[in-house]
Order: sequence, then C-alpha cells, then structure tokens
Amino acid sequence: MSNIILSTKNLNYLYSKGTSSQIHAIRDINVQIEKGELVGIIGHTGSGKSTLIQHFNGLLKGTSGVVELEGKDIWADKSKIRNVRFRVGVCFQYPEYQLFEETVYKDIAFGPKNMKLSDEEIDRRVRESLRFVGLDESYMEKSPFDLSGGEKRRVAIAGVMAMKPEVLILDEPSAGLDPKGRETILQMIMAYRKTTGSTVLVVSHSMEDISKISSKVLVMNESHLAYYDTVDGVFSHAESLKNMGLNIPQLTELFLKLKEKGYDVSTDIYTMEKAKDELLVLLKGGDKNAQ
Amino acid sequence: MLSDITIGQYYKGDSLVHKMDARAKIIFTVLFVVMIFLCKNFLSLALVGLFVLLSMILCGVPFKVFFKSLKPIVPVVIFTAILNIFYVSGGSWEIPLFLGLKITEKGVSTAIFMAVRIVFLIIASSILTYTTVPTMLTDAIEKLLSPLKIFKIPVHTLAMMMTLALRFIPTLIEEIEKITNAQKARGADFESGKFMDRVKAVVPILIPLFVSSFRRAYELSFAMSCRCYTGGEGRTRMKQMKLHLRDGAGLLFFALGITGVVLINNYFGAVI
Ligand SMILES: Nc1ncnc2c1ncn2[C@@H]1O[C@H](COP(=O)(O)OP(=O)(O)OP(=O)(O)O)[C@@H](O)[C@H]1O
Ligand SMILES: [Mg+2]
Repeated sequence: MSNIILSTKNLNYLYSKGTSSQIHAIRDINVQIEKGELVGIIGHTGSGKSTLIQHFNGLLKGTSGVVELEGKDIWADKSKIRNVRFRVGVCFQYPEYQLFEETVYKDIAFGPKNMKLSDEEIDRRVRESLRFVGLDESYMEKSPFDLSGGEKRRVAIAGVMAMKPEVLILDEPSAGLDPKGRETILQMIMAYRKTTGSTVLVVSHSMEDISKISSKVLVMNESHLAYYDTVDGVFSHAESLKNMGLNIPQLTELFLKLKEKGYDVSTDIYTMEKAKDELLVLLKGGDKNAQ
Repeated sequence: MLSDITIGQYYKGDSLVHKMDARAKIIFTVLFVVMIFLCKNFLSLALVGLFVLLSMILCGVPFKVFFKSLKPIVPVVIFTAILNIFYVSGGSWEIPLFLGLKITEKGVSTAIFMAVRIVFLIIASSILTYTTVPTMLTDAIEKLLSPLKIFKIPVHTLAMMMTLALRFIPTLIEEIEKITNAQKARGADFESGKFMDRVKAVVPILIPLFVSSFRRAYELSFAMSCRCYTGGEGRTRMKQMKLHLRDGAGLLFFALGITGVVLINNYFGAVI
C-alpha cells in the first residue's frame, strides 16, 4: 500500500485538556489518503475540520494516536517537524491576515526562504506560484496591504504553493468571496493539482464546490469521521448527510425528491451532465440500461 | 502555551464569593493584602494561612487551578527567599559560610515570611479575578474611584479603556496563536537560532498583529459611535450593583481576621 501518502491511526485531540473547558475536538480518526487525490473535507461548523488538518503538518500533536506521512510517523523525530511542514503545506482560514512583508514578492518568498533554497530557485517559485493564483507579475512589487481582499487571499495561497508541498491543504479557501472569486479559487486549485500532481485537501462548506472538484470526500460530523469515500459513495448517504446538517447539492436534492415521489431514478446525481442523461432516460420512459 | 496563563482569568462558578458584589470584593482584597502585611510572627501568619485556605474553599475554584497560576511565580519566590537569607542578619544563632556569608536565624525566618507572603498575595488576588467577570471588575473600579471626578480625573474614560483592554486580551492571544501557526506552516522557526535571529523571527507575527489591531480598534470605535456612545455623561447601567448580606458577612470575616492578627502580634511579639 505504498500509494498512501497521509494516514491517521486512532487520532484524538483534546483542547484545554484537564480543565473545565475541555473539548474533545476529534475522536478516533482513521483515514488513509491516497497520493494524487483531491479530497474535499466537509462538515458542520465546529465538527473538527480545522483541528484535523492541523495534525497533518504537525501544528497540533494528537493527544493520542499517530499521523503518518508516507508510512512514517511525523513525530518520530521531533526536530524534523519543520521538514514535515515543507512537505505538507497548510493554508488557514482567512489567510490574508498572515501577510507581513513590504512586497508581494517578499511575502511569497518567505516559505521558500525558510527552506533555504537558492535565490534563483526562490525567484522561479515565486513567479510560478503567482501564475498559479492568476496574478500577473505587475503585482510582485506591490504592498500586500494595498490589495483587495480576494487578491490578498490569492497571494497568501501562493505563499504556501511556493513551497511546492507534496500535500497542499487549504482551509476554506473560498470563504467570504463572491461567486466569481470562488470559481477562480476552485479553478486555481484544480490547475495546481493537474500541473504538479500533488495531493490536495480542501475544506469547504459548499457541497456544490466539493462535488465539482473532488475525487474523494471526507465528511466530519461531531468530531467523528463520518465518511471517507468517492463523491458518489458519499452522496448515496444523502439522508444521513441531511441529518448532519449538511446541504447536499440542489441537483441531488431534486433527484431524491423524484425518487420519493416514486420515479425510478438514481440518487447519486450531482453534475448537470448526469442529471440531463438521467432525466432524458426517465422522460423516454425506457429502462436505463437501454442507453 | 499562551493559553496556559491563568492569572487574571475568570473561572466560571456560582459560589458565595462569585455572587458577592465586585466593589466589596475589591475592598476585601485590599483588606487581605493589609492582613498579609500586618502579621509579624508565625502564629499570625498561620492565622492568615487559615483565612487564605477558607477563602479558597469558599470561592469554589479547584486548588489545581491555583497551583497552575502559582507555578510561573516559583522562581521569583525562591530568588526572593535566597536573597533574604543572606541579606538579613541577627537572631539567636548563625552558621558562617564561605566568603563571609552566613545564615542567621532572622535571615531564615524573613526568607520564609517573604516566600509565604508572596504566595498568599497571589492567591488573594487570584481569588478576586477568578470570581469576578472583568467587566464587573472595571465597573466596580469606576464606582470606587468616582470620588476622584472632583479632581477632574476622567474616571469613566479610564475604566472604559480598561474594560476594552481586558476584553481584547483573549482575542489578541487567539490572534497571536493563529498568526504563529500560519507562519509556522510556512516554515518559520521560533525555537532555534541566535538571539538576533529569534528577535527577527517575531516580525512576521508582530506586523500582522498590529495591522489587525488597528483595524479592530477602528471598527470598534466606529461601532461604538454608531450606538451613540459619547462618554460617561448621563450613561446608565444595565446591571445595577447592590450590596447584600453576604457582603456584610465578608466584611465581618476580614474584620475578625485583622483583629486576630493584631492581637496575636501584640501578645506573642514580633519575629520580623
Ligand atoms: N484553539 C482552540 N481552543 C479551544 N477549543 C477550540 C480551539 N479551536 C477549536 N476549538 C473547538 O474545537 C472544536 C472543533 O473546532 P474546529 O475549528 O476544528 O471546527 P471546524 O470544523 O473547523 O469549524 P468551522 O467550519 O467553523 O471552521 C470546536 O468545538 C471548537 O470550539
Ligand atoms: Mg475551521
């Protein structure tokens, strides 16, 4: 099973352990993430998504359990934890608040510089990641504080991409952006994965976004891992997803309602294409296998 | 790490002490401090110890929490004690050491006294902050200081500044943690390197922190003026402070304590 890049075994984490405000943020998480996958992470607010991803790059250390990167416990050698952070790049919720340099160029170069790369390599990576996030080179000498919110967000994401991590993790990269800004970010993520072939994990509250881009979906519910499966596989549990307070894509909802009314349709529909096919079959009144 | 700081934090509960009036509690804390400094021999110190213990039990905060807040002070206490052992001399016996240093009876008892006093002081002030919501505390301070208005001291403004500062401490701590994590994720190194490297390593945290603090301050002042805040003039309170029987009982408690300490001091003589 050398195909597994990240895995956890019985991972637990308690905030403020041993005080009156102790919170069991994640419980017995067992998950194995394959190389090259684009995993969408979804769950109601407070379900432990952000807590979970902070374990993947060793910002948090599980109260019990292990996290393995390519089969090796990331905490095996405590002094090497920085190397883990270069290999697993995490970009947090609202990353625009982490910008600090005078220019966009310098800010993006912060990560690569910490990796002690040569100046030419740093330069190459800064330009490359600016391209990934769709900003042209005229931005390089601007102050990050003069940019719009969406541009700041993209610069911050570029700052993590510039480290070329094997696993890129983004926590709600499109939160608080308009539909066009959200679309841009999604396109960006897909392009990055295609070009670099790296594994990408994206936390999102939007089922639509997740179903659009992911190859696998990880569902968190009340600090437990509810599902880790393909998009089809997860949406086939539409009813229990709804019980977890998650909104399933409108299309899937439509097909669920049709099924309820007694029509013979499948309910793992989440793209327009599939919906069209399914509806056409239904309207023709024929059996599905005929097509 | 940062969130382990427990001094000056509120500990939720509904004990007798939690319910007491904040103004009364501030006065009691002052009385506690007076009591701690009045004692002159070990017997009166023991009496104060009894009062400290009683208050700790009455306020319903677990002892564990107190110990946690005392932990960072231990080096200071030990340092003060050692300094006192050698600094003070006199008494019925002495043990000479090297370099003309010597340990004397008075030195040792002063050292013990100092150490115990510091610990008691911290516990007494912790009881106040553990049992009182910060906003109540500043409200009480405003009330207690209001006579100073005669001297044109802007008591309300000062109290409001204190309230806001206290209110934003947890927010700032949370923010520091968030920014630190974000920079760590980009490989920032805060733990190793030479002194200058470490100082430089703080820049990526400080700048975002300042930027967001200014933004917050600006938004807050805007939000306050939107709600027609114009200062203390004519402002009324949602929660009126009232004194109850329990506050009187508290006063009696401390009156007894101080009288006891003074009596013991006079009766058995002073050690320091
Ligand atoms: N620094 C912290 N200290 C104490 N408790 C925390 C901390 N961060 C998160 N928690 C708690 O842990 C639980 C999980 O939080 P987490 O941030 O992982 O949720 P989330 O799934 O990312 O939610 P959201 O979708 O709102 O971002 C919540 O109950 C939260 O209150
Ligand atoms: Mg989160």
